[in-house]
Amino acid sequence: MKDSAKSVTPLAASSIPCTINGHEASLNVPPAKRLLHVLRDDLAMTGAKRSCEIGRCGACMVMVDGVPVNSCLTMAYQCSGKSITTIEGVSAQAGGIDPIQRAFLEEGGFQCGYCTPGMIISVKALLDHNPDPTSLEIEEALSGNICRCTGYGGIKRAVQKAIEWRKEAYESESIRD
Amino acid sequence: MLLNKKGSGARWRVRPDGPDKVTGKLAYLTDMTAPDMLIGRVLRSPHAHARITAIRTEHAAALDGVHAVITHKDVPGLNRFGIAHPDQPVLCEDRVRYVGDAVAAVAADTLEIAEHALRLIEVDYEPLPIVEDAEYALTDEAPQLHPQGNLLHRNGFQRGDIAAGFDSCAHVVEETYYTPRQMHTYMETEGGLFIPGEDGRLTVYSPTQHGFMDRMQLARILAIPQSEIRIVSSPIGGSFGGKDELNVQPYGALLARITKRPVKLHNSRWESVRAGLKRHPMKITMKTGVDDSGRLIAHQVRIIADTGPYATLGAEVLNFAVEHVIGPYRYEHLDVEGFSVYTNNGMSGEFRGFGGNQAIFALEGQFDRLAEKLGMDPWELRLRNMRRSDDPGPFDQPIALTEGAKQVSAAMTSSPLWQERSNPAAKAAQDEPWIRTGIGAAFTMHGAGLGFGIPDPAGGRLTLAADGKIEAVFGYEEFGQGLIASLEQMLIEQFGFASGDIRIVIGDTDIVPESGSTTASRATSMMWKSLQNLRPLFEDAVLGKAADILQLPASRLRFGEGGVYAIEASPEPDNPKCLMTYPALAAACWEPVTSSTQFHFPTSDTQKVGAHFLYTYSAVAVKVEVNQLTGRVRVLHQYHAVAAGPVINPQGFLGQIEGGSSMAIGFALTEDAVMSGGQYLTKNLDTYLVPTIAEHRGTIDVQPIEELPEEDNYGPRGIGEVGSVTLAPAIAAAIYDAVGVRVTKLPIDSELLLAQSFDSFLDKAVSGE
Repeated sequence: MKDSAKSVTPLAASSIPCTINGHEASLNVPPAKRLLHVLRDDLAMTGAKRSCEIGRCGACMVMVDGVPVNSCLTMAYQCSGKSITTIEGVSAQAGGIDPIQRAFLEEGGFQCGYCTPGMIISVKALLDHNPDPTSLEIEEALSGNICRCTGYGGIKRAVQKAIEWRKEAYESESIRD
Repeated sequence: MLLNKKGSGARWRVRPDGPDKVTGKLAYLTDMTAPDMLIGRVLRSPHAHARITAIRTEHAAALDGVHAVITHKDVPGLNRFGIAHPDQPVLCEDRVRYVGDAVAAVAADTLEIAEHALRLIEVDYEPLPIVEDAEYALTDEAPQLHPQGNLLHRNGFQRGDIAAGFDSCAHVVEETYYTPRQMHTYMETEGGLFIPGEDGRLTVYSPTQHGFMDRMQLARILAIPQSEIRIVSSPIGGSFGGKDELNVQPYGALLARITKRPVKLHNSRWESVRAGLKRHPMKITMKTGVDDSGRLIAHQVRIIADTGPYATLGAEVLNFAVEHVIGPYRYEHLDVEGFSVYTNNGMSGEFRGFGGNQAIFALEGQFDRLAEKLGMDPWELRLRNMRRSDDPGPFDQPIALTEGAKQVSAAMTSSPLWQERSNPAAKAAQDEPWIRTGIGAAFTMHGAGLGFGIPDPAGGRLTLAADGKIEAVFGYEEFGQGLIASLEQMLIEQFGFASGDIRIVIGDTDIVPESGSTTASRATSMMWKSLQNLRPLFEDAVLGKAADILQLPASRLRFGEGGVYAIEASPEPDNPKCLMTYPALAAACWEPVTSSTQFHFPTSDTQKVGAHFLYTYSAVAVKVEVNQLTGRVRVLHQYHAVAAGPVINPQGFLGQIEGGSSMAIGFALTEDAVMSGGQYLTKNLDTYLVPTIAEHRGTIDVQPIEELPEEDNYGPRGIGEVGSVTLAPAIAAAIYDAVGVRVTKLPIDSELLLAQSFDSFLDKAVSGE
């Protein structure tokens, strides 16, 4: 037996300042730890899902400074000074449920629901950046999120509905202004 | 009318499990943790076939933070699992037969320690010659993988005199079809939490499609009574058949029992790929003959299914394929034989469609080829040979009478998509002549339930609970299909309850009755039938109590939103008065009021094991675009006619057909878990390509056909699988229509669809032509 180690030395942790869903946080974790595992294992936030862990399926997606990223490929140190928004934060910021989430509910944009948090993060990042995307832009924005249940029909209908609702909300706000 | 949200009106409902799913609040079983929890990991074989000469675990066991290292010696009961035929080792003793075989397992304080401990386990292997081809496996020279040899199961069906039949044919088509090792690719990989109780019982939180089957198998492995085990099996992040068999449960259960601590396991994607089930790769050879009018005379089929190293439901999948290569057509002479064969490839097993996908791809391909020989429209050929409504089933067994075949055919042929076929003007776009479009269609008659000869229990119960909730209790699992939503919708529409009155309880063997498996497109049918049985019983019981209290005849009372109402002369008043709320009634009853039903899935009066009684019919038309420069196929528009009785839940129905057809797109165009030398070459989603949103640019029209014969009392037929079946052969037909290439192997090889081969392209490029 070559390996005579009797114990596994944990990696040294360092303190990483960041904002998570609007709350300031200091992550006391090894710098190379994946954000997905920090969220799920250290912070008990399980909305981001573990699936392929190579950045191909999007189930673990979160926003870092408003940009959608696969948290399975993001290391903790890359979050230093950044603002992280998870699916839990999307609901909280909307005071319960975001119009995008409501659109997924009403149009049936989910089945097993395991891809849904990541999918909604991608939709939110898209619409925050581009409120009136073409269908090709929607396709591009969501092509990193795999859904195995729906065949994407309900998801496409939900995205259209969310675009419509956000437009209506924007117009009614503009009238009030 | 096509199925959509608008046309469904108030019947299109938000799923009760939806809010927690879209907000990320829902805790899946692999999201769960427990205080003092250990992490479990499994050591799997690096070899596809090898003898184990020694296993040394001392170094791993001595590592700080390791609480248990187990091998086959630590399995107290049967060291085997398998739903139908337990021949898969929980932990291998002296031989491994595939790269997913488990040899040892550890429980440790952290994942890092558990993984390091796996590296410290020393296993001495002597590699053995492997069997990677199923036909080779059947030869005498092949290494024999099991004491009984390499044949798991053989089945067939004969009618008439096949040789004489072919002698009298005017045209005969002979072709061999190949289908891929498709992966379920549920987004949530296998896993769970295993908690030993202080009372000695074990609670298993782990996805499965039949909690009681897991309980039976685990009791057999642990050598404890089934009553000592509780299985909690919902919610599930996708299954599609893939989590029907045990996966991580034996290891979690053993480690938790040995360490007396909660243990969590959650497979990485690669571990899920190497250990998990796939769709059986099949080689199907068909010889089919017609007379000169196109009447089917003879049909001969040979199926070779690569079932991998162990049985699970390989035999049952083969039985299904044998039935479905015959399908909904009339033949004078039939000779079908199928073989399910052990190899050292990955595990094959239960997967949405259950052998029908492979069978129907081949069968429908024969019709397209025969029609061409006859110079006949391919659909006309199908119609000429289609079963009549009172014909027996494929195995000559009696089946439930419906007009399903005729109905879906009529709907599909009158769809705008199929009509467009007669207008060839738009075949090639003017500005992109390398893009060609084509339209194709296919037909399916798909069995539901486990079939004759297999225990297939059903049932459930309704209770007016102490808190006044109407509790609907079934032993089924929710893996995304919308079972909870469908049950709620039936309770609302058939009984008159409000959603707030209802509490649905599923997926917990301590509480639920044995309702059979959540497989084989059976659960919605069985819930519907249960509620049909329960309704008079529950009305008698609950309205009887209310009648006593209210001093009114029970016949004048009915269920309604929030409580019991008087049956008024029609028309109903706008604001009918609730006579007694359910909580008030429950309080007055002293104890919960319960009605139960138990029955068996309807089976045919036959002796042929696996023969079905209830079928769903579908006809699909599809338009594809073939790029002859790249060989890429794009699915443009789909039309699905599905005859499955009443639509219980419009959103769920649409979702099942849309989602199933997406799996068929993958099956036809991109998906294959490639193996070489018994090793997976496609280890994750970078090389295993499931369709993304970009592969779904087109529209999908779904036309449900709800009418059943008047005397039919079987209600809704299953729709969970059929959507995944019919599209692939329709795509193959559409490709032929577009570019004249006959597809025999899935996923379709793009190179076959290029206008010129790559080599000739290179030659021309180099020579400057």
